[in-house]
Amino acid sequence: MNIFRDIQFSIQLQKVTFCQYQLTIDDKLMFLTFPQLLQLRHKINNYTAPENLERIIDNENFVLLSVADRQHLVFLEIPKLLDLKEEIELCFYSY
Amino acid sequence: MKTAIRRQMTINPEVMDVLNQQIELEMHASASYLAMASWCDQRELVNSKAFFYKQAEEEREHGMKIFNFINDAGGAAISPAIPTVNNEFESLRAIYETSLDQEIHVTQSIYKCFSKARSTNDYASEVFLQWFVNEQVEEEDTVRSIIDVFDLMGDMPLKMIDERLPTE
Repeated sequence: MNIFRDIQFSIQLQKVTFCQYQLTIDDKLMFLTFPQLLQLRHKINNYTAPENLERIIDNENFVLLSVADRQHLVFLEIPKLLDLKEEIELCFYSY
Repeated sequence: MKTAIRRQMTINPEVMDVLNQQIELEMHASASYLAMASWCDQRELVNSKAFFYKQAEEEREHGMKIFNFINDAGGAAISPAIPTVNNEFESLRAIYETSLDQEIHVTQSIYKCFSKARSTNDYASEVFLQWFVNEQVEEEDTVRSIIDVFDLMGDMPLKMIDERLPTE
């Protein structure tokens, strides 16, 4: 029994087809190919490196993130940024 | 999502990250060798300039080898940003010593990639990296031999030392 089946998380990453992934951030729905997902992972890992995170917190306190080859623009505050990192890590953890 | 990522890529994501850092290091080493080659070229140190131009080319080839491997294994190779390169040197010997330090640094980094591949059971990357482990032994040995020549020739003029450096 999957207890998470009916719960809607604010950030969710799911596999749709063999090479398509669906990323939900609040009400925004985005479809990503695998290379776009890798690109997103790289960006998020960069933003959340301790020194960069510190710089963001000291300055604007948010990031504007372009997703899926600049098709979407996402506004992320620090807690959401960390949630997204965790969600992506979880997805890659099952490797 | 259990096997989703594995079906997309052979390379382990953590190994991919350290290999991308390695590309950055190799490309930086290449740029650094280019600066050394230029220093020697301006002073007409023919053998040394040829050596460093060759080294710059080799380091770039190493970087590209890793770059292609990551993409071939389904990952995403990242084109690296090259941080500031030092263009000022105090002597030819100092250049070769810097170059040895650089090679040692690259070797340590290769070992880091190797142990990451091993700890994540990424056998394909481990086998791929074996070539680099051997290559680094050769690279370090070449520079060490040149520094030995400096020790043997003591205070002789720079051009005379340069003429006696091994060209291959």
